[in-house]
Amino acid sequence: MGLISKLAWRNIFRQKRRTILTILTMTGGFVLSSLAIGWMEGSYGGMILFFTNHRTGQIQVHKDGYLDDPSIYDIIDDYESIGDQIEAIEDVRAWVPRIYTGALIASRAQDAPSGIYANSAAASVIGIDPAMEQNATDFSEQITDGRMLTASAADTSLRATGQILLGKELAITLNVAAGDSLILFSQAADGSGADRRYIVTGIVSTGNTELDRTTCYLTLADAQLLFALEGKVHELAVMTTSLGDVEKVTAEISAMTDSLGLSTASWKVFAKEFYNGMQADEASLKIMLAIIIAVAALGVLNTILMMVLERRREFGVMKAIGTQPKSIVKMIVLEANVMGLVSIVLGSILSTIGLLILSKHGMILDPPLDYGGFTFREMVASVTPGCYWIPAVCIMITASIVSLIPAVKAAHTDAAKSMRKV
Amino acid sequence: MNTNSANTDCANVNTNNVIVTRGLKKTYHDNGIPVEAVRGIDFTLTKGEFTAIIGPSGSGKTTFLNLMAGLDSPTDGEVELSGKLISSMSGKELSNYRRDHIGFIFQAYNLFPVLTVEENIEYIMLLQGIHKKERHERVMKILQQVEMEDYAHRLPSKLSGGQQQRVAVARAMVSRPKLIIADEPTANLDSRTSGDLLDMMKKLNEETCMTFLFSTHDEIVMKRARKVVTIRDGLLYNTDKSREE
Repeated sequence: MGLISKLAWRNIFRQKRRTILTILTMTGGFVLSSLAIGWMEGSYGGMILFFTNHRTGQIQVHKDGYLDDPSIYDIIDDYESIGDQIEAIEDVRAWVPRIYTGALIASRAQDAPSGIYANSAAASVIGIDPAMEQNATDFSEQITDGRMLTASAADTSLRATGQILLGKELAITLNVAAGDSLILFSQAADGSGADRRYIVTGIVSTGNTELDRTTCYLTLADAQLLFALEGKVHELAVMTTSLGDVEKVTAEISAMTDSLGLSTASWKVFAKEFYNGMQADEASLKIMLAIIIAVAALGVLNTILMMVLERRREFGVMKAIGTQPKSIVKMIVLEANVMGLVSIVLGSILSTIGLLILSKHGMILDPPLDYGGFTFREMVASVTPGCYWIPAVCIMITASIVSLIPAVKAAHTDAAKSMRKV
Repeated sequence: MNTNSANTDCANVNTNNVIVTRGLKKTYHDNGIPVEAVRGIDFTLTKGEFTAIIGPSGSGKTTFLNLMAGLDSPTDGEVELSGKLISSMSGKELSNYRRDHIGFIFQAYNLFPVLTVEENIEYIMLLQGIHKKERHERVMKILQQVEMEDYAHRLPSKLSGGQQQRVAVARAMVSRPKLIIADEPTANLDSRTSGDLLDMMKKLNEETCMTFLFSTHDEIVMKRARKVVTIRDGLLYNTDKSREE
């Protein structure tokens, strides 16, 4: 150990109470930052998973231009072959094909004479493959009444199943329940009229009221038949094994589908509003982190300044006998950094305990939080490397910067003046 | 106390000027009012001298020593150490100058409280980049000379005032500087301890021919000094008065 390092190390133990106070201040800053980051990553991670797993997937493939201006004619041909290629990519968990279009839905009033459809509403129609959805998303868990659609595209004998799922609020508007019938009116892709009677098999509650007021679901086969889109879909939604893989997988799918006139986008692009909202929240969290670090920094600055003031005479002696000012700066910065390192070790232990508790038990949100159109009832923290390295870097940088001011002050001690008073 | 033989030895090299000041002046500004602490001092110190500067409080003793040590810069005049003007030195050169050529003994000892006796003495040699083995040998030798060899691993807080000042003497001498400046070294010691310390320093002066310059009020120091000069109102008097015991 060098001379300056030895002095720095031993100086830390000179004023034990002050050293402990400084370390505790920095440890507090570390723990609060770590918990805030863990909370943020856990909550946002949960929100993203909730949002994407519910319906959208983490990645979507469309015909070029579809996202900007969706049209029934922007279709993906040979989607099964493309889907199989996507599935072969590492870190892809599943994919699902979907059709999106619109229709007018009419239901018969319970006591109305036969042929009178008194309730009607415009709705988005989503064609889904029930078997594939069950494998890829938690869509079936959102059915609060009745049951999931039963046919899949592979079940060719049941192509026209006549089953429909309705969003909860849409069902209220139409005054129907599971088992009731209704009629869809629309226009098919070939220009022909599209209308058919369906039996409501279930009611869907996604947690997004707006979505549930305007959406109904058909089997993919029924939708293809109704809208003359056989063998075609509008979207391939892709689920990755983890959120961290999304950008990499998006790039890989892009490389594969760009030449086919298709566009690939991650959830950050196709759910721009949701993503921007999260970014705004992240910015406010960064401000909070900065405040935590600033408060810790002020505490450290205060104690180091006091220490420098008390040891002014000693710095004068050091300078008098030939110590270079830069060595004095080095010594004080080193003292602060050693305390910073101890704080990081202590803070890591305490943060791990706190994060594990928060990740296991979470926090029940009462009232629930509405975010991005979805309702979140519980938030949990997650333990990620960022919970440690971000506060650690902040603490070390803060310790260095904050100690630099008193260190430079100490290095400029006037040796003659500092030794004048006994 | 017989110092004649040693004096004779040091006298052989007495022709070398260690430090020379010419027209040295220092004016402070205290609340905007100029205070002439040193008002033009010509002074020469030759190798092996054991000289005391005396004078009342506020007479300019410490300012004069600080100017010679390069701790303060003169308003006018110059300080020359072994032919080199220290007024022309940069901050780093001055720092190295003090490290290599000046040894300090302070009234309040000023040992580093977190370093042991051995480490305190070793400190300057570490700054000088002297090899570990040589450092250790020199520390042990000087500790024997100041009769503190049994205290090498103690912290200063575990030593008496007299013992701490002995360590301070060892620290000042171990790097073999050209000049040792002692600013009221006995002010915090009782008369017996002061006498013992001064005897020890004088013996070391005789053995090593190192040059000692004291500022003091203490009769004990004055009695043992070979030359006593008086500073009053920033001017030096009695520079011709040499005292042989």
